[in-house]
Amino acid sequence: MTHALIPLDKPPSPGAPHRAELPTPVERTFPNGLRAIVFQQRSAPKALGVPIVAAQLMVRGGASAEAGAEAGLAQLTSTLLTQGSAQRGAVEIAQAVDGLGARLDASSGYDATVVSVSALTSVFPDALALLDEIARTPAFAEHEVERVRTKAIGDLALTYSNPSALARLIAQRTAFGTAPYGHPIAGTAETLASLDRAHVVAFHQRFFRPDNATLILGGDITPEAAFALIERQFGDWTTPATPLETMPPFEAPAPRARVVILDKPDAGRTAITIGRIGIARRAPEYVAGVVATAVLSGYSGRLNQEVRVKRGLSYGAGAQLLARRSPGMVLASTLVDHARVAEATDVILATLGGLGAEAPPESELVTRKATVTGSFSRSIETIDGIAGVLGELALYGVPLSDLGAYMPNVEAIAPDDVRDFVATYVARDPFVVLVGDAQRFVHAIRLAHADVTVIPAAELDLNRATLVR
Amino acid sequence: MFPADVGTSHPHHAIRPVLASLSPGAATSVAPIEYVERVLPNGLRVLLVEDHRVPSVAINVGYRVGGKDDPPGRSGFAHLFEHLMFKGTKNTRPETIDRLTEDIGGVNNAFTADDITNYYEVVPSNYLETLLWAEADRLGSLAVTEEHFHTERDVVIGEYDQRILAEPYGMLDELVNREAFRVHPYRRGVIGDPDNLRAATIDDVVAFHATYYRPDNAVLVVVGDFDPVEANGWIDRYFGRIDHAAAPIPRVTAEEPPQRGERRFTYRAANVPLPAVEYAFHIPPWRHPDFAALDVLESVLGMGKSSRLYQSLVYRQRIATGAYASADLREHAGLFEVRAIAANDVSIERLRTALDAELAALVDAPPSDEEMERVRTQIASSFVRGRQTYNSIAVSMVRSAIERDDPGAINHDLQRYRAVTPADVQRVARQYCTIDNRTTIEYLPQ
Repeated sequence: MTHALIPLDKPPSPGAPHRAELPTPVERTFPNGLRAIVFQQRSAPKALGVPIVAAQLMVRGGASAEAGAEAGLAQLTSTLLTQGSAQRGAVEIAQAVDGLGARLDASSGYDATVVSVSALTSVFPDALALLDEIARTPAFAEHEVERVRTKAIGDLALTYSNPSALARLIAQRTAFGTAPYGHPIAGTAETLASLDRAHVVAFHQRFFRPDNATLILGGDITPEAAFALIERQFGDWTTPATPLETMPPFEAPAPRARVVILDKPDAGRTAITIGRIGIARRAPEYVAGVVATAVLSGYSGRLNQEVRVKRGLSYGAGAQLLARRSPGMVLASTLVDHARVAEATDVILATLGGLGAEAPPESELVTRKATVTGSFSRSIETIDGIAGVLGELALYGVPLSDLGAYMPNVEAIAPDDVRDFVATYVARDPFVVLVGDAQRFVHAIRLAHADVTVIPAAELDLNRATLVR
Repeated sequence: MFPADVGTSHPHHAIRPVLASLSPGAATSVAPIEYVERVLPNGLRVLLVEDHRVPSVAINVGYRVGGKDDPPGRSGFAHLFEHLMFKGTKNTRPETIDRLTEDIGGVNNAFTADDITNYYEVVPSNYLETLLWAEADRLGSLAVTEEHFHTERDVVIGEYDQRILAEPYGMLDELVNREAFRVHPYRRGVIGDPDNLRAATIDDVVAFHATYYRPDNAVLVVVGDFDPVEANGWIDRYFGRIDHAAAPIPRVTAEEPPQRGERRFTYRAANVPLPAVEYAFHIPPWRHPDFAALDVLESVLGMGKSSRLYQSLVYRQRIATGAYASADLREHAGLFEVRAIAANDVSIERLRTALDAELAALVDAPPSDEEMERVRTQIASSFVRGRQTYNSIAVSMVRSAIERDDPGAINHDLQRYRAVTPADVQRVARQYCTIDNRTTIEYLPQ
């Protein structure tokens, strides 16, 4: 690089992207069916290794495996895992974790439930034993079920007061109807009220079995030591006689260009969410989808430039790619003044259409790709972060080598790939969901769109594909 | 947007580097952080740590100026100034740093504490030169318009409303500083006083930049994926050309006189959901050798759900909803703070009696070996987690360099914690947690 040419009054240009030197994961399946993926963090020279080991136990089974009438069951179950085991109550578990300087968490998404732990290498075996204890022998005490369920119902009020959150929930129903990604992951007041300890126990039994589980374990530990530790801790986990459920991909409704308006006169601003069903995580177009989303998102992304910077319609606008076991949604969202809903809707649709019609210039892709690789780099700085990426790859059947291949794959995306992804999966027949004071914009929307449904807030029913009581 | 680290915002500081690389009693060890240190001819202290795990780099520029250095009648000014450092230079428009980071997948932020103002970015490593240029640029010149000054001043005053007035117990931290310090400017806190801020002018901004934002008052730390020869070239090129003023940098020389006798205050305020009581004891500066025993004392009393205060007040007696301890170590003499928030219908007297009993127990007898072992594990764990990201390493080094005058301290801390004996913990409890050295604040609902 020739420094002498760089003027001092302007920021110097970047050099070529550097390559990451990531650990190579190793995997093994134990006789009980447990799949183990281990990795060792690179250490010196010139690498600041830390004496931490992290593990994630992931079972294939999340909110998409619960019936619509049981919405919220997966999250209720995972929240309860840390709230008591056969040996210890909730406070005793928290104290044990704390005494080890460990971190222990459990959560559910649509496709999986994950229990994770990390601790200093020297006490990690004890921390892993705690993970095992809560994952295999949860108590699901009646009073804890009641407490967690009541809190979950209480939390819904906050969600429902937020136009953006409501728009997202309505978008899910609009896109998926009664298909598995259609119901709210947090449940509804009606479904949560119907859930009891028996549901939670049954959900746990269905999915927490070694032949349905993947354990990702790594950090300051050799693969041999990691496998030995896993064998010692989980070797006696027996496979039940019942056959393992298969989870075939489901059929989602065909995309349809329509507008769904939730009339919520008390909303401060109108939430706009525009989207459609896109791709599965395993799809070959996934990386193009990630780059396309980055072209649309962020302060300097196209949506924010058009909606906020050029027109001052909003504080911000962006896009999201939800790629899952089966195709999830691609969404573009913003929050605008009620009076400018029609204009903002048109701008977003035109921005999506524009990117689907014409490939972005290479110069734009350079910085938008940097937003993808830059945030990926930060996410894999920690051992937990690496375990999280490997968990996602394992869950969706993507080769584990993608940990190292991801950044080069992002760099390899061409402008046409972005255009094609947007044309095929975003701009074609998207739905529009509007949550706000409908009387301020419904006329303008009807002039521009043929298929418009208006739902008064009092009649909204998230339990149903029709969204009305 | 750029949160101030208001020294005592929470009894447990997320931002202060916690302990060093030792393992739970047994054997895990952490390799020392190998850093290269040099001082440019203009006085800028530079610390470089090379690591190539991920193609990313953290850049920190810390200035030895904080809330304690606020000009007279301008409490909160250092924090306001931190916001203005994002509002443009001779060469750049406002928010340039945001564009240069967020637009390439990076992040940036800054914080102001009692003794330090620190600015940082994490970016893909091929953008290191760009960000070094940008940091040097805003050290070299600041060009804030009246309009941006007024907007940002309102933002900072809004932050006061949000963090101090709206946040439950938000004012308690301010009261602790105000009452525990009689002479030292720590008594003004970092977030400051809205009326003082309203009186500030753009002339104050120009003067503050000239006084404190100079290379011989700054520490530059770069951690991550870079070539040291290349990085040093850029540092010389962009930072080396900035001159420092000839005038000496003003320093706080006030010393808090020893406290002789308890000070007790009762305050009533809105936004106090349940009564709280706080004890604040004067302790020596961070660079004093007792820092390690004080940090261990903090952990024995207040670190997490296995700590004595939680176990006794929250779990067994059920008289508190929360109980905390914090060794708030600073460049100058700081505070050891103990706080409890009452459970429903529990009187302040009962809460105080329980706190007194826990403190007395440590004065009377040293912690057990088993307890020490647990605390060492917690401290080591917390320290090691702080070593996981480039930016957390950089922040630790900047703070060590400025608040302890010793960037290498992070490579010795863990041994120092390991060397703390049960008798040391008892000794510091006895020495500092005395009634004469105590400021007590009872904080009650209106």
